[in-house]
Amino acid sequence: MRTVTFLPGYRKIEIARGSTILDAAQRAGLNINVVCGGQGKCGKCIVYVQSGKTSFDAQKYGRFFTDEERSRGACLACETTIESDLQVFIPESTLIQEQKILIEGQETAIEFHPSVRKYYVELQPPTLSDPSPDLSRLLWGIQKTGGPAAEKMYVPLEVLREIPAILRHSEWKSTGTISLVPGGYRLVDLQENDTSKRLYGAAVDLGSTTIVVYLWDLVSGKIAGIASNYNRQISCGEDILARVNFARKNGLGKLQALATESINAAITSASNTAGIDREDIYEVVVAGNTVMTHMLLGIDPAYMISEPYVPVVRRALSVATGRIGIACNKNGGLFVFPAVSDFIGGDIIADILACGMSEKEEISLLIDIGTNFEVVLGNNEWMFSCAGAAGPALEGGEVLFGMRANPGAIEKITIDPDTLNPVYSTINGIKPRGICGSGLIDLLAELLCTCVIDRTGRINSGIANPRIRTSGHFPEFVIAWAAETDIGKDIVITENDIKNLIMSKASVHAACLTLMNQAGITRREITTIYFAGAFGNYINKKNATIIGLIPEIGIDRIINIGNGAVTGANIALINRRKRKTLDEIAFRIAYIELNAESSFMDEYTSSTFLPHTDLTLFPIVQKLLDTCRLAGR
Amino acid sequence: MVYDVNFGWSGMISEVILGATKADGGTRRISYRIGGGKTLPFLERKPGSSVPLIAFEICDNPQYWSPIVRNFCGDLVNDCGEWAQAADSVYKADMVRLYLTSTRQRDFSDIASVGKTVETVLSGTSLPLIIEGSNEPKIDSEVFLKCGEAGQGERLLLGTAEAGRYRSIAAAAMAYNHSVIAQSPIDVNLAKQLNILLKEIGVSRDRIIIDPYTGSLGYGFEYSYSAMERIRFSALKGDADLSMPLICSATDTLTVKEVREASPAIQDDIAVQWEFTTGIAAAVAGSEIICVRHPRTIPLLRKAFGSLNTEDSGKGE
Repeated sequence: MRTVTFLPGYRKIEIARGSTILDAAQRAGLNINVVCGGQGKCGKCIVYVQSGKTSFDAQKYGRFFTDEERSRGACLACETTIESDLQVFIPESTLIQEQKILIEGQETAIEFHPSVRKYYVELQPPTLSDPSPDLSRLLWGIQKTGGPAAEKMYVPLEVLREIPAILRHSEWKSTGTISLVPGGYRLVDLQENDTSKRLYGAAVDLGSTTIVVYLWDLVSGKIAGIASNYNRQISCGEDILARVNFARKNGLGKLQALATESINAAITSASNTAGIDREDIYEVVVAGNTVMTHMLLGIDPAYMISEPYVPVVRRALSVATGRIGIACNKNGGLFVFPAVSDFIGGDIIADILACGMSEKEEISLLIDIGTNFEVVLGNNEWMFSCAGAAGPALEGGEVLFGMRANPGAIEKITIDPDTLNPVYSTINGIKPRGICGSGLIDLLAELLCTCVIDRTGRINSGIANPRIRTSGHFPEFVIAWAAETDIGKDIVITENDIKNLIMSKASVHAACLTLMNQAGITRREITTIYFAGAFGNYINKKNATIIGLIPEIGIDRIINIGNGAVTGANIALINRRKRKTLDEIAFRIAYIELNAESSFMDEYTSSTFLPHTDLTLFPIVQKLLDTCRLAGR
Repeated sequence: MVYDVNFGWSGMISEVILGATKADGGTRRISYRIGGGKTLPFLERKPGSSVPLIAFEICDNPQYWSPIVRNFCGDLVNDCGEWAQAADSVYKADMVRLYLTSTRQRDFSDIASVGKTVETVLSGTSLPLIIEGSNEPKIDSEVFLKCGEAGQGERLLLGTAEAGRYRSIAAAAMAYNHSVIAQSPIDVNLAKQLNILLKEIGVSRDRIIIDPYTGSLGYGFEYSYSAMERIRFSALKGDADLSMPLICSATDTLTVKEVREASPAIQDDIAVQWEFTTGIAAAVAGSEIICVRHPRTIPLLRKAFGSLNTEDSGKGE
């Protein structure tokens, strides 16, 4: 065994020789940023070996470091194996930091109609002249207090066993909790005395990166608390594929446990803030993508990541929370959103519920962008969906100075057409460290409007301006000089970064066009574009249209629904009628496999242009760009 | 049976003039107006419809050229003036396309020699010229400007603009009134994108010839064929950004395995057949300039074009 000491916190861990520094760090509980899942591709897990012997191929990964960084012992944690006792310094930038998590859903008035209710009953004790059994006595009491008909309530054995003692101990004054499950009404709990005011439910957005929990008071219909945190599965790989591969190698158990742990942490933190006993939470509704919900339920997702991409289960599921370790009342119910396919999961169904597109006559386009994107097109009669890989560029990956939406990320930017000097703002207002997705979209649009790049994203090196230069193989544009930054380096965007961004935006736009072709409609027939997810919430709608990320329909008709997954989960938690429609919505949606769609590649290539090769699809942008060109160079 | 050969199409291939005669301020004995088609190739059987032009390719440093051509042409290959003259008077090509292969040498810097070479070829033949500049971004700008300058007034066709390098060639073409070949890698969308890029920096539509890139027969030609077809269809349907005439140059034809490894006795025949078959197919797909390197391909193509177009009424102005 070798001892690895991590600085600056002096955290020590013992680990076998030949393990990677990443393994050691994860064991030590340090959250290292591994965008690529530890494959040596992203260069985000830089650490500095201060003493000890390691083996690391500096030649192969040299592109991630400056000579100066190498001389200080820089290496990639995932690709460095431990030979002797080590002292390793982990810079702050390598750790996963507090991220801007979108917890706000859409403000909508949802009709309050929960599926769990509590009934306080005061019963007459049995006598020789009234010898009816305990259960009948209790159920009649509940029925009389406004509950469902006694004969319609099912009582599980576990609860039945507790009934006689509780009723007598409480002198026949007890509170029953009735839940409406797919099989009908169910008595899920019986408590002594009047606890009918203490009934809560949790709506959970189980994202692959973040988890958001809304705690609802199911008596008053008000939000009692909100909390969010990271999905702890990140330590097993940043993206879903990496995690499924992790599960294949190391078993599903750890991932399942991490998923419940993450949810529990959020529920606990929301309960503590709101002063609620977790035992009073009787229902948890979870919306997550298909792989996430499979993992949460401990269903093997291994077969989903290869052809022909079939999930194990598609429909909505209800199970007892106790069976998967969710920290709430042991008899509580867990409701998991249905999915359409491997790639269109419960989070998207929740988005659909949140924006209401499945109930409207007019046609809407719903776009949810992350590393993967999902697109749904349709109305109350038909719906098409597809999903694809946008690549990490829009989230700051594969971009030299790209970063997640952490403090110091440039999130907004404009460029002066005459001087080419940018004006930017960063998250938390500190000195810039890099650029996040919304900043990159602004940047692309601004560079196009100022003619620094042409429509294929190539930088016009002919412009005489110190911000335009060539370094290495690629021309680049300097956004912030080293002195203005927090990292002591010029923050630039290279032509290669721009190419990656254009490829990402092209796949999203091509997916929209493919669905529109499938439905036989044009952009004019789309009434509303809904942006779901964090990415959509922060981006500039106009710039997203200028670069051709989304079809041009007029920015006043683009609506951000924010965290649609949690909004949808909220709706399903507090309105059982809406919840009932979910399976029907999921089954109504046709899934288009882009790989099998021959026209997709064509649409993709034509979308790898700013905004698009067919300029008639972007008449307003075209006019705007013409004006910019007249005004400028 | 009479049928509508226009199939209701509203578009037209845009017209491009290649070469300038004395009347136009140049020294060429002929100039060509290509394009103008309103339907598929060889369907327009009315007077004035032209057959594709055949351009013979030469270079100023034959070490980069196929030994098959070097053997056939002999000493000519060492003097591009005489080679050009032979292309005109002996091989009977319609145009001469000069590749400045000398610029491919490492650290090439003798820009003045480029101008001289162009002048030599201009005096060797009075046919319109196509000039291929360097392949090196560092010297592109100077080479193109020198070519443009040397051929001022001659309405040259300059090659080759690509999405990654089009600014310098476009600048030279606009400064000296020449046309440009716009090459994209076998894709209708990418072809259109490059045309838009050229348009946006000021190259007008009647100064662009599309090169969709031609893979040689057996080595991807069917993709090129399909790209050419789609470009032609888009043009006929009215897409102005794809309406330019096409050029086909299957430059790899003489180096494909079947030609390279053919027995010496039949190597020449195989080479010519390979070039001919590629050329005729490209013409049927819509190419209006067919480039060849083997002199014997020229009469074969000409005969084939004549038989396809029953009312060949000459193409010169």
